[in-house]
Amino acid sequence: MSNQTTINLEINGQAHTLAVEPRVTLLDALRDHLELTGTKKGCDQGQCGACTVHVDGERVLSCLTLAVQVEGRAVTTIEGLSDPGAELHPVQSAFLEHDAFQCGYCTPGQIMSAVSCIREGHAGSDDEIREYMSGNLCRCGAYPHIVEAVREAAKVMS
Amino acid sequence: MTIVDTKMKRGDASDGLLGGRLARIDGPAKITGAADYAMEHSPEGMVYAVIVDSTIASGRVVAIDTSAAEAYPGVLVVLTPDNALPIKTATDWTGAPPPAVPYEPLAREITFAGQHIAAVIAETFEQATAAAALVKVTYEETAPISSFDDPRSGEGYPIDMMTKEWGDADAALAIAPVRIEQEYKTPREYNVPIEPHGLIAHWEGDMLTLWEPSQWIDGMSRTYAEWFSIPFENVRMLSPYIGGGFGSKALPTRYGAVAAIAAKMLDRPVKLAITRPQTFTAFGGRPATRQTIALGATREGKLLSIVHRSANETSMDDVAIEPLGSVTSIMYAVPNFSSRQNIVPVNTVKPGALRAPGENPSAFGIECAIDELAYEVGIDPLDIRLLNYAEEDPHAKKPWSTRRLREAYAAGAEAFGWAKRSPSVRSMREGKQLIGYGVAAGTYPVRRTPGEAMVRILSNGTIEVASSGIDMGQGTYTILAQTAAEAIGVPVETVVVKLGDSSLPRAPVAGGSQLANLMTGAVHVAALAARDELIGLAINDPNSPFRDLQANTLTIEGGQMSSPRDAGSSVAIAEVMRRTGRNSIEALRNTLPENLRNKDDHFRNFTTISTMLSPTEGDYSMHSWCVHFVEVRVDVDFGTVRVSRMVSALDSGRLYNPKLAESQWKGGIIMGIGQALLEEGLVDQRNGHVMNNNLGDYLVPTNADIPHLEVISVGIPDTNASILGGKAVGELAIVGVAPAIANAVYHATGIRVRDLPITLEKLI
Repeated sequence: MSNQTTINLEINGQAHTLAVEPRVTLLDALRDHLELTGTKKGCDQGQCGACTVHVDGERVLSCLTLAVQVEGRAVTTIEGLSDPGAELHPVQSAFLEHDAFQCGYCTPGQIMSAVSCIREGHAGSDDEIREYMSGNLCRCGAYPHIVEAVREAAKVMS
Repeated sequence: MTIVDTKMKRGDASDGLLGGRLARIDGPAKITGAADYAMEHSPEGMVYAVIVDSTIASGRVVAIDTSAAEAYPGVLVVLTPDNALPIKTATDWTGAPPPAVPYEPLAREITFAGQHIAAVIAETFEQATAAAALVKVTYEETAPISSFDDPRSGEGYPIDMMTKEWGDADAALAIAPVRIEQEYKTPREYNVPIEPHGLIAHWEGDMLTLWEPSQWIDGMSRTYAEWFSIPFENVRMLSPYIGGGFGSKALPTRYGAVAAIAAKMLDRPVKLAITRPQTFTAFGGRPATRQTIALGATREGKLLSIVHRSANETSMDDVAIEPLGSVTSIMYAVPNFSSRQNIVPVNTVKPGALRAPGENPSAFGIECAIDELAYEVGIDPLDIRLLNYAEEDPHAKKPWSTRRLREAYAAGAEAFGWAKRSPSVRSMREGKQLIGYGVAAGTYPVRRTPGEAMVRILSNGTIEVASSGIDMGQGTYTILAQTAAEAIGVPVETVVVKLGDSSLPRAPVAGGSQLANLMTGAVHVAALAARDELIGLAINDPNSPFRDLQANTLTIEGGQMSSPRDAGSSVAIAEVMRRTGRNSIEALRNTLPENLRNKDDHFRNFTTISTMLSPTEGDYSMHSWCVHFVEVRVDVDFGTVRVSRMVSALDSGRLYNPKLAESQWKGGIIMGIGQALLEEGLVDQRNGHVMNNNLGDYLVPTNADIPHLEVISVGIPDTNASILGGKAVGELAIVGVAPAIANAVYHATGIRVRDLPITLEKLI
């Protein structure tokens, strides 16, 4: 199709130039054009949180964000949270240790939200963690273990 | 091919043994985004399909105008019933031979809203989505019967095979000193895995590759093969990770056929991911159910009779049965019993399986009813359960293999503090919160199908386990590594597990909570065979370091082989392999009985459910058991219900990995909290649409809805139930949650809600 636009994205510290239609979401740009499939599509309508990424350090839903909107802004996905082969991010380690997932599909979004939840200062109590992690649905029902993992990771990160 | 290995060491060495709390070995891939779910592959030249659904629930398609869609940039083809490649009807999952008629995944005759009628295939997802909105459909609409609440749906028709009767239930009820009778209802409920459904279909000649999240690779592969009249071996299905299924990814679907047809017609790989709203109508969830339960009892609360009449919705043209008498018939000792079930056709997609189909709504009925009886006769709800405790299976008249329900009641009550409960309703309160305690039991049968596995010992000492069985979060990768490690005697870090690929040894459906038991059994048998061959090699091979010992046997521990005669000098497995010049030792084993080991029965075992044994086949009745103790807080002004505390005690037999089993239990409990308080498919009675077909309106539990959950294992190994002593885990824990919450809400408020979910307007 002819109405493609060229955009420059910075994903996980790397520059990417992409020719896409303006209507392509950040989520589809990541998954279908950049082979960064760690960010998940669960509902494509901003309801489940599986597509959560960081833009300029803030958590956003990549399914409700057009790729063209993040030109010139720093995007971090689950693949960029820790370097391959390097030590895991404390939130990732805590998720593994506390079995804070089963099928794993909501997990990248949960982890990206958890990092933000802690950075935002919303991991002060279990109830606060529950509230600020409620934008990310987990149908396997790992919630109690997610709360444990966020609580533990917050200690490590502080 | 996805390989999950255990290179990252986690926890203590003992965690790697069966029964140890090893962290899941597929975990590192899942927490880094590296796990490759089926639909995340991009074969060269892939194009995108989007389905067009019927907007009416009853009638027929008169015309489909595809001209605008076809003219849209990037569109390759618009499939309709008129131009779709014809395919055959396949054998169904029970193994029933198919009728010799074509299978038409795109419909002309409409029996439910959301039925697929066309598909647009385009170069990009955005183009296909935009063009699909341009397909114009003309219908001839007839008035739908939207649900079984519509009087026109009638009483449906009886399913005689569901009838269970003993004694004379009607007569005993008529003369019982205490009689209660109520109706209990559950709405349509949906699986809602976070990974939506779909597939990538790719033809190379007459070879079909499918990347599709699947709970049953071999069963679904068979269907695709029969649809397209190609040999079973020509279908390769890959499903390395599954983003949740809960029963909804076990059977082939219409959109699966559409994608494979499109891929064949275009000779391009086709990706078809249905939208989140389509996950409410492209396949069915749990049907709406209703049950009338009459209990007859003595004044002391001893049951004399149960009369149970029930019905569930089905689709207009097919039979879906949610077995509503499954728990009713085995939970309590009762001398007179009658259970009968109807199904009621309405304009819906055919209902499907959702976590504990049958047991779940069945338990809602009987576990609320027994609670009502406890209040009626004035005894404690826990005491009435013990008073009517079934010492043997009252229906099959066989002893339980194991039934640790009494132990569960005791352990759960103690941990919960049940003794602190004040007996009267509306008698516990903190400020504006009414507090209620509730209890209910649950059960899930042990289903058994023979399994198969390949275990290889490689020259470098690595152990490889292979099966087409799958891991959708239950922990299959992890517990099979633990099984092989223990059977052979190696550290779990040296085990590599390959799953989710039809080119690997066969596996039956990951459903009915059977996979862990049958796969650990098959891997155990195969691993012991590989171990035996390794030991034989080490004893007999002229180049073996053990040759001169003339030993009868050798031991293997921690990956080191040694002789009982000379325990001091141990040799690594890799060294034995090197010295004897072997590249690998392979053992492919199945647990089929000898009379089923021929080629046809082997195929039938893994591609249909016809060889699955019932829980009462043999000398025992085999089930898992559980009890849930719940504290709820109900706002006295607003009627909002919060589950504030829960303790569950569960008997799943031996746990292969308690860490992962506890996660599954808690997951079931959380889905049960959703069922009790939130989940309800709302059907527009005017047009048969599921109105809340998205995650913002069909409410599933969020993190903030769930309190701390305590789970207690009271199981003991049950080797009648499975080779290694486990019973059902995955579907057990949801059973009994909803009635426990309903009973707690009654205790808090004095209001008995008998139709789920328990929403605030029912309490104010």
